[in-house]
Amino acid sequence: MFWDIFLQQVANGLVNGMGYVLIAVGLTLVFGVLRIVNFAHGEFYMLGAFVTFFAIKLLGVPYLAAVLLATIAVAGMGVLANQVLFKPLRREHEFTILMVSLGLSLLLANGGEIVFGADPKYIPSPFADEAVELGPVFLTWQRIIVLVAAAILIGLVYLFIRFTTMGKMMQATAQNRDGAALSGVNIDWVHTYTFALACGLAAVSGALLGPTAVIFPTIGEWAVLKAFIVVVMGGLGSMGGAVAGGLLLGIAEALGANYISIAFKDAIGYGIVVAVLLWRPAGLFVARK
Amino acid sequence: MIISRTRRSLLAAAVLLGAATGATQVLAQAKPPVRIGAILPLSGAGTFEGQLGLEGMQAAANIINAKGGILGGRKIEIVSYDDKSSPDEGVSAARRAIEQDKVDALVANMFSPIALAMKEVTRGKILHMVLAPQHPKVTEEGHKWLFRLNETTVMRGGNFSKFICTNMNLKSVAILAINDDYGRAEAGNYGKWLAECGVAVKGTEFFQGTDTDFNIQLTKIRGMQADGIYVAASATSQGATIYRQIKQLGYRGTVIASGGNMNPKLIELSGASIEGVYSVSPYVEDVPNPIAAAWRVEYAKNYKNATSFVASLAAAGLEVTAAAMDKAGTSTDYDKIAEAIRGNTWNTVLGDTKFDNIGQGFIASYIVQVKDGKIVTTSKAN
Repeated sequence: MFWDIFLQQVANGLVNGMGYVLIAVGLTLVFGVLRIVNFAHGEFYMLGAFVTFFAIKLLGVPYLAAVLLATIAVAGMGVLANQVLFKPLRREHEFTILMVSLGLSLLLANGGEIVFGADPKYIPSPFADEAVELGPVFLTWQRIIVLVAAAILIGLVYLFIRFTTMGKMMQATAQNRDGAALSGVNIDWVHTYTFALACGLAAVSGALLGPTAVIFPTIGEWAVLKAFIVVVMGGLGSMGGAVAGGLLLGIAEALGANYISIAFKDAIGYGIVVAVLLWRPAGLFVARK
Repeated sequence: MIISRTRRSLLAAAVLLGAATGATQVLAQAKPPVRIGAILPLSGAGTFEGQLGLEGMQAAANIINAKGGILGGRKIEIVSYDDKSSPDEGVSAARRAIEQDKVDALVANMFSPIALAMKEVTRGKILHMVLAPQHPKVTEEGHKWLFRLNETTVMRGGNFSKFICTNMNLKSVAILAINDDYGRAEAGNYGKWLAECGVAVKGTEFFQGTDTDFNIQLTKIRGMQADGIYVAASATSQGATIYRQIKQLGYRGTVIASGGNMNPKLIELSGASIEGVYSVSPYVEDVPNPIAAAWRVEYAKNYKNATSFVASLAAAGLEVTAAAMDKAGTSTDYDKIAEAIRGNTWNTVLGDTKFDNIGQGFIASYIVQVKDGKIVTTSKAN
């Protein structure tokens, strides 16, 4: 029985952790390239879930097609948010930008309640309820999809940043914006791509994690909080750090909750953050040059 | 429709304009409305419960207003406030309602922690009709103008635990409860009652009001290998995920939902995973009640949600408050209104409703079970 529970908790932790990774990578990308701490990132996660729901309900498309549609639509909304809000403020003080992202977050969450309705909704995925027994471990197909899709997507994003020209321009912008601009990098395009990528990733995580629970317009608050913990753990702007941080947080929460106390589940994340910040004061805002 | 405070000034202007154009209208509008402050969770985890409550209350107000209002022609006007599912916000909403907006009475609350905090602001200030909270201390440590409609966890649980012990054939249970005043009281009481009648309680796990995933708690509970799981989840959004995830983890035992938390939306969201789940509820639609039938018609005319227990509680809370004001002949002499509430039996959407000396309500309740996606009454619970 001990191993049954242990393995199930590790599996729970891995799935939750992969979900965290998917949300956190976008957050860390936007910070790394644009130097924006985007509090509204969780709302793009929420929008991903709701666009999926309405695509299935109103357009009648199958679940996986709805996921794709939501990803593209929300990536577009991310680009729009960048053009309308963040681009004109690029030279403003970082706190101005911080407040704008906070405002956008509130606007989207409360707007969501008006447009989508406050009642919780369930995304009807055909994979949500059917469980697979892997020895003592029960996982629904939906959770397996979260694991596999997240791993593939993160791999693709890595390859994109590492090997494509746009990816290299993003790296250059992250290292030194003015230097990159001087050597001919189109900063506007880099920012547009980064926002599209980050919001698309948030949307796909909302669309994939949505059917594992129910969705309501304030789920973004939860998502952005977890993503912040992950990003601070892994170092703001670091993709590898976000992957390691997300998986570590997921598994630490599951095992800590099981063997120490469930009351500590949320405290575990904050505890790790405090420890990381103490040992590595190059955390949050100090990481800036 | 619900009239917000900003819109009300516009409305007042429109009324003045209307009054200027015709003498008959002046007479019709001469009596000021009775304003009821509805402090409910309109954002946060309890958003849906708050919305249902507001809808139920407004439907009941429409019926009263269509019959000419109360106190010789005064209409009921509902002023809504958002407690954001948080005690702090509930308290500040109550202050705004009492001090700035000067409402006549408060008909409020979906969750115990908020009612427990808010009653200290309403003490000695205003009539406070508490709706859904089940924590015993809301009335035990209440005040002379505070009433609570719902049964307490103790009243409801005493009957329900007897039913669980005698009819469900369980040797052991595990408890999953929300980590707030309500959930901790439920877990403590049921742990005690079930143990007393011979059902072993193998363990209790809690979840936070902000949790959206329950696999970690449920994995631990599955490991306890109990015959049944008792779930105390007060928000529909969390309940639905819990019932689904119980089945997704391969649990095949009996599942019991805490009292008052079974509603059509929960069944819609939970799908097949809630089939067969037992609960206890004061609001059932298969027991005849003409007042409830009329209310359901009015509700369906205005809202797309199905009528639910929380909506019926809010409707009954408003009905009792309005009728007692009418009987007492005042909307602000709270001693007189409170005396009227205590001294009479009120016929509401929940059937006959009475209150004792400390303001605790007494309503009928029923054992229900989900069968073929419908809430079916199996027997009377009290």
